[in-house]
Amino acid sequence: MSDVILPPQPSSLPARLARGWARMKRNHIGFVICALGPVLALFVVIRIYPIAETIRLSFYDYHITRRSNPFVGLGNYAYLFEDGPFHEALVNTILFSMLAVVATLLLALACAILLRSIEKAAPIYELLFYIPVVTPWVPASVIWKWIFDPTFGALNYALSFFGVARLGWLQDPTLILFALVAVSVWKMVGYFVVIFGVGLRAIPEELLEAADLDGATAWRKLTRIVLPLMRPIILFSVVTCTIINFNVFAPVYVLTASSQGAPAYDFKVLVGEIYSNGFVYYHMGYAGAQCVVLLLFVMSLLIVQFLAFREKK
Amino acid sequence: MKRRSVLLGGAALALTGLTSVGRGPAQAADTTAGRLSIWLGYGETAPAFKAALPAFKALYPNVEVELLSFDLHEYEAKLSVAVPTGNGPDILTLHDYIFPHYYDGDALDDVPADLAKVVDDPKIIDPVFKDVCSRDGKPWGVPWWKGSRAFFYNVDHFKEAGLDGPPKTLKEMWDYSEKLTKKAPDGTITRAGITLRLTEGSGGLQKFSDHYYASTGHQILEAGPKPGTVRVTLKDKDNLEAGTKLLLDYVAHLHGPKKVDDWALKHDTQGFANGLASMLFREDWAVAFIRKNGPDVKFATAPLPRDKAWGNFHLVEILSVNKTSKMKKPAWDLIRLLQEQQYLDIVLQQSGWVPLRMDRDFSAFLSKNPEYKAFLEPTPGYQAYLEPPNVAYVEATARTGDVILAGFRDASLLDNPEGAKAVLFKAYDTAANILKRSGIFAP
Repeated sequence: MSDVILPPQPSSLPARLARGWARMKRNHIGFVICALGPVLALFVVIRIYPIAETIRLSFYDYHITRRSNPFVGLGNYAYLFEDGPFHEALVNTILFSMLAVVATLLLALACAILLRSIEKAAPIYELLFYIPVVTPWVPASVIWKWIFDPTFGALNYALSFFGVARLGWLQDPTLILFALVAVSVWKMVGYFVVIFGVGLRAIPEELLEAADLDGATAWRKLTRIVLPLMRPIILFSVVTCTIINFNVFAPVYVLTASSQGAPAYDFKVLVGEIYSNGFVYYHMGYAGAQCVVLLLFVMSLLIVQFLAFREKK
Repeated sequence: MKRRSVLLGGAALALTGLTSVGRGPAQAADTTAGRLSIWLGYGETAPAFKAALPAFKALYPNVEVELLSFDLHEYEAKLSVAVPTGNGPDILTLHDYIFPHYYDGDALDDVPADLAKVVDDPKIIDPVFKDVCSRDGKPWGVPWWKGSRAFFYNVDHFKEAGLDGPPKTLKEMWDYSEKLTKKAPDGTITRAGITLRLTEGSGGLQKFSDHYYASTGHQILEAGPKPGTVRVTLKDKDNLEAGTKLLLDYVAHLHGPKKVDDWALKHDTQGFANGLASMLFREDWAVAFIRKNGPDVKFATAPLPRDKAWGNFHLVEILSVNKTSKMKKPAWDLIRLLQEQQYLDIVLQQSGWVPLRMDRDFSAFLSKNPEYKAFLEPTPGYQAYLEPPNVAYVEATARTGDVILAGFRDASLLDNPEGAKAVLFKAYDTAANILKRSGIFAP
């Protein structure tokens, strides 16, 4: 009996798909590309390309409405050194961010620790703290603008009972910094209360009980157990809070914008300067250079923070 | 001058049948179809556009009109991005200070001959306003309305202080402000004699410039000898002396015993409307604002006080058509319609801005609204002037204003002419550097 050699049969579609799927599973790179490719492509289009284009524009004297936009090399970067309003905005942004980050995170940590002692009621308080987080910046800022009103505002009215004279919270160049920090803290503290709350709940109860048995004080438990174990959460919070505050714009814009002729002190911040140079004065190239500086500045800060908070082996 | 409102109209506006459009556009209905887009930075003029739409729809039944209004600065930003990319509105409503960007950017359509003739006629449009939108001897838009500043004063406060009428000179203005100021026993000002513009660089410089013009007969930024160039007048010998005196007057009335205003007091038009200030100098729109927000405040308007010179700053709104528009003819026809008396009446009634057509009659409006007297009635010898149109106007005024406003805050300038001069020198350098960077500085 001779062997019959059959011609290769064309495989069915489901079989081909199954083989393709198996091959793809073996070939991880292909799988990853297929799975992440669309997302990465979107990320490149939405994030990477604008950043690259901003960097390119920063080397041009690019003016939106002008026909000629010559290449100026590092000219825009050189002008940053002599631009007074940019320096003012940089200093203001650093001061604002430092105060806002420290105040927000300390307050959030304190609240989260306090809430841990009332575990059952904690979610209600977390919800209350979280309401400002989901309130959009613009209406929130408008409400604060009323609160800070020098003549009819609730804050000055309340302070008058303690004999405090009328203060121009948004008109005084010094006070406006603290007013803006207060608004930022009010807005963001709820978010970090929740984050810290999650971190605190993840700390094993046995460790704290053991510390209690050893007679550790609350302060020692906080500094020797709670904070070290929460290092990754704290790093995340510091990084997030720094980025949010360095990019502050909407509350400053709304709180200081002229409203029918009753504007506040023009408190300059970096993103506000970028907006003005780009969309008010039309120096898009120069605004691009400011964006690049902001990007580098925030990235440097983040690297420092990562180094400072990294896990010690 | 900022307005925050978003209006959407047009699509839903009903066609109310054929309407006579007078001597404006052609009468026969046109078959053009599509969408005509209009963006406004001064949303308070939207009612005039809306009122003209039925007549426009009679001409163009297949054209849908989209009318959007934005906060002024947002509008300028949006326009600056959209127009160069060919995505802007069909009708461009341009204020005189942003007009040069769009002329220089070759974004404007030619004005039809009949409208150009109207703009060029000195009996219809004052040449001061024609010049602002003309280049190489031809207009690139139709000046539509003007805004100007006048002196507002609280009639009751004046009576209470025994003052007969508004101040006629700068000196009287400062004297009156001292008489009108009210202070609490601890010295805190409870009512400003005059509410000065103490914040926001650009607006601050404009108001300081009103008094600078009265003191010197010059604007801080003036047209240079070559077209398109700008010179800064702060260092001119006579101007420097007068400017220094003016700055010292401001500082003297913001610090020390003569203090008449305070940063921590409700300010500007809101302060005036709340009865917290006795005098204010502001644009036309403030009339409606004060009426609405301070119905109990009895006030009147007058020309700005004089000194060496007597004049009044104006801003102008220009109607142009986008060069890339596919709706040029309908756009120009709508602009023609907007020149009609009935729609200009609406501009005046709804916004307070004064239409520029001198061949139209607004006397009935004035008799019903005497607060507009200083804006509508021509005053012999009272010089109308505009900022020199230039591409760096907004930046130069904002940054230079920041320097002047910082000077207001500096109490060390009290009776310190050298310190005040140093502030003016710094302001000069700031303005000059910005103009140089834009290549339009005239020494």
